[in-house]
Amino acid sequence: MEWFSSFWATYSTLTLSLGTNVLLALSIYLTLSCGLLSVANAAFMALGAYSAAVLTLRAEVPLWIGVCAGAILAGVTALLIGRPTLRLSGVYLAMATLAFGEVVRIVILNAEQLTGGALGLNGIPQSTAWYDVALAVGLTLYVFLRLAHSHVGRTMAAIAQDETATELMGIDIRAYKLFAFVVGAGVAALAGALNAHFTFFISPNEYGFDRGVEILAMGVLGGTGSPWGAVIGAVLITLLPELLRGLGDYRPLLNGIVLIVVILYSPKGVWDLFAASRRRTKTVLAEPDSRTLTR
Amino acid sequence: MFAQQLVNAISLGAVYALFALGFTLIFGVLNVVNLAHGAIFMVGAYAALQAVLILELPLLAALLWAMAVTALAGWLLDKLIFSPLRARRAPHLAPMIATIGLAIAVNSAIQGWFGAENLRFPTATLPARVLTFGAIQITQLEIQIIVMALALMSILFWWLHRTHAGRALRGLAESAKAAALLGVPVERYFRATAVIASMLGGVAGVLIALYSNAVFPGMGQPMLHKGIAVVILGGMGDIRGALLGGFFLGCAEVFSVAYIGSTMRDAVAFGLLFAILLVRPQGLFGQAAQRRA
Amino acid sequence: MKTRTDVTAPASPWGRVTLWLALSATALLPNWASAQIRIGVAEALTGNAAQYGVPIRRGLELAAGEINAAGGIHGSKIDLVVEDEQGKKEEAINVFRKLIFQDKVLMLFGPTLSNSAQASNPVAQAAKVAVFGTSNTADGITSIGNYVFRNSVTEADILPVTLRVAAKNTGLKRVAVIYGNDDIFTKSGYDHFMRALQALKIPVTASETFAKGDVDFKPQLTKIKASKADAIVLSALVAEGGPLMVQARQLGITLPFIGGNGMNSPRVFELAKEHSDYLWVGSPWSIENPAAENKRFVAAFQKTHNALPDQFAAQAYDAMYIVAQALKKIKPTGRLETDRSALRDALPSVQWNGATGPFKFRQVQGKDGKPAGYDAVQTPIVMMTKGNRYVIQK
Repeated sequence: MEWFSSFWATYSTLTLSLGTNVLLALSIYLTLSCGLLSVANAAFMALGAYSAAVLTLRAEVPLWIGVCAGAILAGVTALLIGRPTLRLSGVYLAMATLAFGEVVRIVILNAEQLTGGALGLNGIPQSTAWYDVALAVGLTLYVFLRLAHSHVGRTMAAIAQDETATELMGIDIRAYKLFAFVVGAGVAALAGALNAHFTFFISPNEYGFDRGVEILAMGVLGGTGSPWGAVIGAVLITLLPELLRGLGDYRPLLNGIVLIVVILYSPKGVWDLFAASRRRTKTVLAEPDSRTLTR
Repeated sequence: MFAQQLVNAISLGAVYALFALGFTLIFGVLNVVNLAHGAIFMVGAYAALQAVLILELPLLAALLWAMAVTALAGWLLDKLIFSPLRARRAPHLAPMIATIGLAIAVNSAIQGWFGAENLRFPTATLPARVLTFGAIQITQLEIQIIVMALALMSILFWWLHRTHAGRALRGLAESAKAAALLGVPVERYFRATAVIASMLGGVAGVLIALYSNAVFPGMGQPMLHKGIAVVILGGMGDIRGALLGGFFLGCAEVFSVAYIGSTMRDAVAFGLLFAILLVRPQGLFGQAAQRRA
Repeated sequence: MKTRTDVTAPASPWGRVTLWLALSATALLPNWASAQIRIGVAEALTGNAAQYGVPIRRGLELAAGEINAAGGIHGSKIDLVVEDEQGKKEEAINVFRKLIFQDKVLMLFGPTLSNSAQASNPVAQAAKVAVFGTSNTADGITSIGNYVFRNSVTEADILPVTLRVAAKNTGLKRVAVIYGNDDIFTKSGYDHFMRALQALKIPVTASETFAKGDVDFKPQLTKIKASKADAIVLSALVAEGGPLMVQARQLGITLPFIGGNGMNSPRVFELAKEHSDYLWVGSPWSIENPAAENKRFVAAFQKTHNALPDQFAAQAYDAMYIVAQALKKIKPTGRLETDRSALRDALPSVQWNGATGPFKFRQVQGKDGKPAGYDAVQTPIVMMTKGNRYVIQK
């Protein structure tokens, strides 16, 4: 027990970060599984973090009310911009969501009265406990796993595989894409709100391009074939810097090299290595690799 | 003030266009969003700086040296990363993630080697003359950058449209399979494209390092964001688009600072980007997205 | 003379007295549980903030080396446990936790950026470990709690002095302001400048912003030129400030610049070269300060690193000495919690005259109105750049 309390004291923040990173990776998994290359998740994370933090700081609401408020705000925003934006596809969609993300960041930066602007929000109550994160992760993972094997999940995989054919079969692809986009936004906001409440302080700069790229890397590195891929990607990206701590100055160097090597060795992500052996025994209809992103 | 701001916009636009040229070339031909272009840009700047400091070369020689170094970087990029991924028929996003890893690694290596502080070219090497035309000030270097951007674009354009190799490249960009069937040595062209694009990135790196008087690790990052914006505005993979997109973004930024307020500068630029994507996703010059064979 | 210790007394009373005195004396000698005093250092050694974190580390190590060479603290050597917080908020928290709970340091220095400090210092406060910032100048840091210290003089204290001296010497009537609006340090500097300008009743003709990593400032500078100001107030770090000054001169702007803390660095001469003149800065430290302690520090730093020190190194150097003074005052018990509290209790009363001049602490109020952490009390020196040197002005 003594060992555990010492471990927890040193690594509690890291563990909680791991949890919220898993949530972020799951949020991008959902959009990728529908063929949507959206990098707006960092912006939705910001929306969740800021709305929850502003509510707990100014209005002193309990944590989960703030979190829900953040998720709802993100969801509504996703709904509003989703309709016009999701007509785009591929890299164009990525760029549009990137631009949207930057606009959100700048708006937060300039809305000083509410958000503190560049000075950030300070002294956020540290209300996130390990069970909050565990609950969030467990619930989301369970729902996504069920979704993946359900009718909805298979439809999304079909859309990712070939949009035109799916549409010809009478599926309302716009509705499915919007669904993935909005739910992904909500999960990212959930992660952001929880994250804000164990780091005391948030500022607009941490939700920019770098964060968006990191989330994308988690999703693709782990593999888009299954929610477990998202988990693997999050674990790798969160823990790798910690494991490499002994390398000092050259740590990011090795970080980058590991990323390159993993992708070269397994371009469909780490999950693909596990799925490969199972693929041979499954029928065509239920093939997990139909979910990977093709042209 | 308007005249000076216009000059500012054109020179800033040329800076952006220069960066975007290499970036759009890789996207247009290899179909990869090369997020390591910023790192290659930075390598070019450092290479030229070292040539000037250690080998005591004049600026032009240093520029050629930087081009050689970045050409090698581009060659390695394709040989070690893009080519193996092509052979394995990797999904669309895999090369992009690899370039993210490469950018992180290169940034860290440069910082470890050269330190984190801003460095700059010795005063003696800088073309520092400032020219005054009435109420307008413009430096000799800015004029050189504008000329260089126009020259490079024209050369590239001529090459792509008037030479056999250039036309083969355009065909390759349209459909790799068709080009292969017609006997175009596809792999060699891909490799050459990566080399040329990286060389362009290196040139951009040297010129912008001179323009901003700063060489530092991570100098490629902000340029990358702008580069992405330029390429979308101008149309992905289109050379003229990169130039015009660059000028368009330069104007948007400068005039929003001049007449709206500098705090909203980035919001205006990205808001514009967002709007253009919704209305005309292929950019000002791009082709509407076709189904690829 | 009564003696309470049950010891076989020597024959004469003088002998008893001597024995008593000798025994009492040994009890008074501090004895550290280990032969080493472990102090944590959490600074940005990689990433963009490394250009500030690395000089800080050098300053701390230089001072610790000198202290150890002179015999340490009552015979024990200072052992610095250095970690890289990368200038990132989450890393700072993780590193703090590691140093406090795993390495069990007595206190810690850092982090480098004000942004990180706001996230990581509450961890130290909750764990009751003193944390000493040498480069955090934004608001909201020492107000976290009474375990938070810093010797970096806040902009709130320096900027009014700089403005007043600059105004007196240049006769300026109106200013334009340009600042980085996406960084807590430069934005906070801007807020303090504005407050000081209002107090001095100096009108602002134009207010422009830029972002970190920008290479082009000419649109903003062109507007400033057109606004007919007498001077330009610049809240920036030297990475942007240097190129900005160059571009201003290239646009034909000959006005003086008035800079915040970030511009006090010899690197401005490298970055702006012949355009570096006429920059006013205030700082508790000046490389030109002829005081003996400063000259010794500059010489020692130059000998070890073959480069001139900057403000970050100087403040870190003094910070180490300040902590050493506090360490000398406490009696170690070998129990970590007690020693940590004792160190914290000994710090506020330390007064020191180092490279940055005479120094003492001043307690500030927390957000709840109760007494909290400790800020620096030092007189700023105002300087203007001329001919690649910072010339002290009065």
